[in-house]
Amino acid sequence: MSVLSQESPGKKTLFMGNEAIARGAIEAGVQVCAAYPGNPSSEIIGSLSQVAGELGLYVEWSVNEKVALEVAAAASFAGLRGLTAMKQNGLNVASDFLFNLNLTGSKGGLVVVVCDDPSALSSTNEEDSRPYAKMCDLPLLEPSTVQEAKEMTRWAFDLSEELGLPCLIRSVTRLSHARGNAELGRLPKNRPTPYFDTSCPIVPQPVMVTHKGLHEKIKICQDRFEESAFNFYLGTEKPELLVVTCGVGWMYTLEALADMGVENRAGILKLGTTWPLPESFLTQHLKKASRILFIEEVDPFLENNIKEFCAERAAELGAKIFLGKASGNLPDIGEINPDIVTRAIQQVFEVPYEPRSSQYVQEAAEAVSLFAPIRELGFCAGCPHRATYWSLKNALIMDGRDGIVLGDIGCYTIGVRPAGFEQVKTCHAMGSGAGLANGFGQLERFGLNQPVLTVCGDSTFYHAAIPALVNARYNRSNFLMLILDNSATAMTGFQPHPGTGRTAMGLEAPVVDIEALCKALGVRVQVKDPFDVQDTTETLYDLLQDREGIKVLILKQECALVRVKRLKVLYKVHVDQERCIGQACGCNRRCTRIFKCPGLAWDPVTGKAQIDEAICTGCGVCADICPQSAILKETI
Amino acid sequence: MENRGLQALESGVIQKDLCTSCGACLSLCPYLQSWQGRLVKLDNCDLAEGRCFANCPRTQVNLETIYQEVFGQRYLNIELGLFKQVKMTRASSPGIRKKSQTSGIVSALMEFALREEFIHGAVLTHRTAEHLPRGRVIRRPDEILSCAGSSYVAGPTLQALNQGPWEDTERIGVVGTPCQVLAMRKMGVSPLKKTSLMDRVTLIVGLFCTWALTYEPFMKYLKNRVNGARIRKLDITPPPERLLKVITDDDHTWNVPLDEIRPFIRTTCGICLDMTSELSDLSVGTVEGIQGWNTVITRSNLGEEILSRAEAAGIVESQPLPEENLKHLKEASLLKKQRALLTLKERGELEDGYIILSHELIGRILSKAKEAGS
Repeated sequence: MSVLSQESPGKKTLFMGNEAIARGAIEAGVQVCAAYPGNPSSEIIGSLSQVAGELGLYVEWSVNEKVALEVAAAASFAGLRGLTAMKQNGLNVASDFLFNLNLTGSKGGLVVVVCDDPSALSSTNEEDSRPYAKMCDLPLLEPSTVQEAKEMTRWAFDLSEELGLPCLIRSVTRLSHARGNAELGRLPKNRPTPYFDTSCPIVPQPVMVTHKGLHEKIKICQDRFEESAFNFYLGTEKPELLVVTCGVGWMYTLEALADMGVENRAGILKLGTTWPLPESFLTQHLKKASRILFIEEVDPFLENNIKEFCAERAAELGAKIFLGKASGNLPDIGEINPDIVTRAIQQVFEVPYEPRSSQYVQEAAEAVSLFAPIRELGFCAGCPHRATYWSLKNALIMDGRDGIVLGDIGCYTIGVRPAGFEQVKTCHAMGSGAGLANGFGQLERFGLNQPVLTVCGDSTFYHAAIPALVNARYNRSNFLMLILDNSATAMTGFQPHPGTGRTAMGLEAPVVDIEALCKALGVRVQVKDPFDVQDTTETLYDLLQDREGIKVLILKQECALVRVKRLKVLYKVHVDQERCIGQACGCNRRCTRIFKCPGLAWDPVTGKAQIDEAICTGCGVCADICPQSAILKETI
Repeated sequence: MENRGLQALESGVIQKDLCTSCGACLSLCPYLQSWQGRLVKLDNCDLAEGRCFANCPRTQVNLETIYQEVFGQRYLNIELGLFKQVKMTRASSPGIRKKSQTSGIVSALMEFALREEFIHGAVLTHRTAEHLPRGRVIRRPDEILSCAGSSYVAGPTLQALNQGPWEDTERIGVVGTPCQVLAMRKMGVSPLKKTSLMDRVTLIVGLFCTWALTYEPFMKYLKNRVNGARIRKLDITPPPERLLKVITDDDHTWNVPLDEIRPFIRTTCGICLDMTSELSDLSVGTVEGIQGWNTVITRSNLGEEILSRAEAAGIVESQPLPEENLKHLKEASLLKKQRALLTLKERGELEDGYIILSHELIGRILSKAKEAGS
């Protein structure tokens, strides 16, 4: 039984941070949940989808974050509780709606969870989503522990409903993906029936009135935050240093102070409600010390807002020494960790303490290199994208005009790297490849002689590329769009999308046919199997010679991991050791030196290639790559 | 060690636009391909030595050494290279003559060589409907005429030789341009040769060549020039006309002055010293001013034997080449050598370029050409 649906109030249960958020929403009586997957947020809706049937929820994977927020908002407008979750970039997509929703307000509790990815561990950007709360005057909560993640989410629905405003929750990778205990609360018994009161239109007009109303609501919110148990002070009445922290900084600070044995010298002001600031609460604690150190992840959000507040209250609070990102005590980019926090505090107290040897990083790197080979970011064994980029590389070389390949976000972003033969030259937002191609496709009139191409995954196509394609058709742009249709949102964990024929709740769904959709736009469309590299290369070459208008080539082949999960291996592949000539002239390890599928291994002892049967997914493409026909594929 | 593989080929030949498109580096590995008449490098190869480099007619070769290797003689005749006889010939069969570029002599000789089993397979140059040349292996005499004619475009004929596949006992004959002949001779002496392929190439028929064109831009130009009509045949008329006659499918003949197509001459032709395929067994070219006849130069014993047996069998007809024509031929050949040497000098590659010649030989060519020119 899922931890999300257990009815055992008071029981301490192990949760992943994202599951705790989901459980909090369930305990709050959420009925509609929608999201577009994105690390590190995906498990929130992912885990809710697992219990949707059992708990009678509606859970969907939407095509993008804006639609997801709108789906959740619709529930709210009809009096139900709605949840959406996204990664930091997702909030940018959803923000257009959000900046009207703040004015119109919501009805049923509406919670927007944004999971930031500090250090961009699985993102194209590093972005602190918290300034959005300030920009659109919405309440912002930042949990520090798994228990808090659950409790705050549950409370956020109440707060949202009381204020008539959506409530933002900011998590980060190290909370969303950490595991910890949380005490279960009760599952809700009664759920409201949706009703939309048509006598009360939900519109932001008159804007001057609703904007004023928003400021009044946020004032009420501030009052609630003054009382919130998520904000507290730990320490003596006259500490030498006041550490102001939130999110994962709280645990790191506790650990750092204890490690250095300076718990009695520093006080910790832990904030869980970070916008609007609880001003009275802050005033009370900021008086305690003249040196204030801010510990938070990514941007100096608290740091700047509290500095601003201290300036306002200078007469009352007196002069302060602020330490944090601006002073250089903390890095102004990337994740923080206990070591970073320890060093920051150690600088203040001048305590001789090394969290770990200064040589540690170097020594660890040396130790690792003894056992682990250097690994490039790569495609999985049997990934159709490798075959696609292989053909694309060859077609572009044959074309000889230095074609420009514009990309964006998905597994296929790895096309920038050697694993994709470095074919992709740009990467920005979802669907930006197609958008940029629109522009590049208009530059021939100024003398651009390079053919323009864009690559786009199936999920990205539904997410953001369709408007770009419509624009291209309408404005007579000129480019070749490759839709790398692997029938999966592979990078974020195989969530279903409109092309998969399945919903988040596991129900059958109509397939939104990419080919038919493109054809309806009146553009030239072809569909090929990327595993047939010869055919794909020739098709690409031919399409590149067509200098007029938009061409779409759908390269359809299932994600290798999806295929393997279904135990569907296309071929049994092996290397004929007699025929393989290895490094000799005539081959020079084309398979392991250039094509580099991880399913191929080079045996330096025999000087021959081998198949790593443990990971080969049997796509058979390497058999077509081998100049000696030494790689053999047998139909299973 | 200095790289003598694809890296060196790329920097020393491909990037300098010196590729002749002979095909000697193709079908040896997966990294090089010919596409629309262009040599394309698909991937990098880091081998220190490679056959692509060794076979290339534009990587370093000592002309005098290779002469010794091929003919066992010093390079003395600087006008036409070593030769036994120079004749004026044509195919006896009007059928062959009609289908051929000039007199059908090459087709007739290769057909004869196959029929008489001098060779078992011939590597010839076939042209696609779009006039793109590529090598083709011919094993039946009646297939020879499928490769008759010329499009004046360089093409990778030797790819077909590399590709085969050949039976172990097969003897092979190849018809090629001077750069292709040079490539084959380099292949024959290369320490990297892996098979005895070149041991089985027993007959090399060389063609006279002053230059060749680059396929893509040339065909694009020509297509526009003939208003998009389908081109059936191309023919260059000798001086004083100097025209490219383009015959289209609607039987229209378009006269294109040669000066119009000169921009499409390959850069590499400017540094070529060989007009008459001096390293072949037998070479064939046109005869200036006498229509329907070819000049044939026999160089090796085999070349001599095939021609005399074909004459005896009535397959070909021969006449002595008029003195005036021989004189012109020698002058033209020398002038090409001189032009190439001067171009190499301009490029700063006279000493360390692709061809190594003694100072004495360079001096002789330059002064003799001057004499002939005056």
